[in-house]
Amino acid sequence: MDKISRRRFLTTTGGLVGILATGIPPAFGQKRQISYLCWNNFAPASDKKLAQIGQRFTKDTGIGIRIDHIAAPQQAAKYASEVQTQAGHDVVEMRMHFPWLYEPQLVDVSDVAREMEKKYGPAVASAKETAMVKGIWRAVPQYRTFFVAAYREDLFKKAGLKVPDTWDDLYTVGVQLKKMGHPVGIPISQNYDSISTAGPVLWSFGGREVEKDGKTVAIDGVHTVRMLEWYKKMFRDCMEPEVLSWDDASNNQSLQQGKAGWIHNPVSAYIVARNSKLPSAEGINHHRSLAGPDGVRHETDVPRHIGIWKFSKNVEPAKEWIRYLLGKREVYDEYIMSGDAFNLPAYTNLLDHPVLKTDPKFAALRQEGVQFHCYGWPAPASDKVQLITNSFILPNMVAKAVTGTSTRDAIAWGANEMKKILEKK
Amino acid sequence: MASAHAGVIAATPRPRFGLRVGEWLNREGVLGPMFVAPALLLLLVLVAYPFCMAVYFSLSDAFIGRPTEFTGIRNFVNLWESDAFRQTFQNAFVFTGISVGFKLVMGIALALLLSQQLWFKRWIRGAVLLPWVIPTALSTLGWWWMFNSLYSVVNWTGIALDFMDAPGPNWLGQKYHAMAAVIVVNIWRGLPFFAITILAGLLAIPKELYEAAEADGAGPVRRFWHITLPLLKPVLGIVILFSTIFTFSEFNIVYVLTHGGPINSTHLFATLSRQVGLETGRIGEGAAISLYLFPVLMFVVWAQLRSVRREVL
Repeated sequence: MDKISRRRFLTTTGGLVGILATGIPPAFGQKRQISYLCWNNFAPASDKKLAQIGQRFTKDTGIGIRIDHIAAPQQAAKYASEVQTQAGHDVVEMRMHFPWLYEPQLVDVSDVAREMEKKYGPAVASAKETAMVKGIWRAVPQYRTFFVAAYREDLFKKAGLKVPDTWDDLYTVGVQLKKMGHPVGIPISQNYDSISTAGPVLWSFGGREVEKDGKTVAIDGVHTVRMLEWYKKMFRDCMEPEVLSWDDASNNQSLQQGKAGWIHNPVSAYIVARNSKLPSAEGINHHRSLAGPDGVRHETDVPRHIGIWKFSKNVEPAKEWIRYLLGKREVYDEYIMSGDAFNLPAYTNLLDHPVLKTDPKFAALRQEGVQFHCYGWPAPASDKVQLITNSFILPNMVAKAVTGTSTRDAIAWGANEMKKILEKK
Repeated sequence: MASAHAGVIAATPRPRFGLRVGEWLNREGVLGPMFVAPALLLLLVLVAYPFCMAVYFSLSDAFIGRPTEFTGIRNFVNLWESDAFRQTFQNAFVFTGISVGFKLVMGIALALLLSQQLWFKRWIRGAVLLPWVIPTALSTLGWWWMFNSLYSVVNWTGIALDFMDAPGPNWLGQKYHAMAAVIVVNIWRGLPFFAITILAGLLAIPKELYEAAEADGAGPVRRFWHITLPLLKPVLGIVILFSTIFTFSEFNIVYVLTHGGPINSTHLFATLSRQVGLETGRIGEGAAISLYLFPVLMFVVWAQLRSVRREVL
């Protein structure tokens, strides 16, 4: 054994003390590793593709990545526990308003978001409204899923029905569809699909829940009266009472099982029918979102973003992952293509993405002239607007109106509930 | 002699360290707390700490990931202004009252049946426990399918047997039907707990009492009324107490079947608390919802346990 010199002894022990004091291992011992938590995508192939891209990312950059998935209903609880304990994943998928809810806990990712916008054009309005908080990008727009009109084209052709262009046209064809035993399927219950339809109907009729200032209740206007009157006649003449008990999957199932003649839902209803080779798949098609009396078309958008927790010790590697997944055009395209038009690009220059040409029935997803928003629009996202959404006040107001409460009383109830939430300290 | 004796004492070796520790441990005042300590630690970490945190949250404006300020009982006062909360409050009492009532009556009846000499007695007793053993979320999914508007086998059977007119009741879309549905599932799930616990109480009643009563000419109803029921009282007290607490805090059944709808008509404290506290981030308010009935339940527990102790003593 070689004799240790005094100089070598001092440098070694000094270095060891430094490592112990700072908690940072020497460079040759450091392995960069990040963890990414995202939901179980409704397009499962997308999750498989993500895993493949993750492996390539590690190979190309030397940064290890662990991708965990979680069911959407458990996301809120999981995120709450990670924030409260200041421990967990580095990178998290942010759905819709999440960047607003978790704003103080999210790293400023404006640099990455701007790079994406420079490359692909501005982020779509709904993505910007939800991921940019008070001028700072708290998450990078990843993809979007929006609601679209899905109908049984075969039944329409058989009965000589015209594809509707407005919500009032839908009433006209809905009466015939119900007579044919294929009612319109719009849920009016405590689920998010109900809000996703009630929102666009309200907006298209010129109404809104809360004003742009985020403080003034606007549901008690004349536009809401028109919207509720429309819902009442739809419920009476075009739908069946079962819509009052539906969950988020019920309208999909009703169309897929051959019952509903028209539903308002993301494209997944058709994709599942097609991939499962259901007999109804052949007859399903989509058309452009419906217009209100003034010809204005609004649609619910569900944007998803990627955020980085502030407690993460791997912010730079995390940003590298976002740049790899979204910033490399070929990788982003590959990822989007795997989602089968369920996950569409969140940037304006990519709206006419090749994925829309993979099936003729995706043609209507180009949605020219349609404005996309998230729940609660035009009020800026906040915990109070989120509470209004999560309390299902809008669909419950509609449910009250269609089940016997007068339109005036239903609106008064909805406005009162919203006011109480907005007045909270 | 005296000096010799003193020499013997001086020569006695001091007990070894291990022996001394053993003796120290053998003392009741030391060993008792040591045995209790792990359980106490678990209780402190898993029960007391979360409970204290929940109380603290309920008295604050806690919002996930943001600075928290103490607000006193403001959350509890504000809650009463919400229509959804008032509805939830009412639902909780209706749901718990009806469910526990049915479980009690049916539980006694089932226990009496199970106490009889039956073929395959063990198998039947095991089968009765199944609803209680299967994970609630899983079994409730089965019920959801049975009540589902599109696939309801309940309605299909009712229509096929001419009990119902097509399309049958809208089980989960009409408020009274929806409440009935969640109560039925709760009774189905909770009945085995009542039946098996009451059965244990029944088997502990001495047979001689029944034989003597029968010899005195008492019929089955009088025997049940004057022997079975009074001797079952302590068991019934405990079972009702536990079931009331479990039923008040029910979550899975409502979450899976109705999500609290239609129009909040089946929301319970736990489901509303999740909606407000976790989905919206307002954990202070969510904690206040879940703790709203805590003082009442504490009083019920105290009164019930006191009454049971009196019965036993």
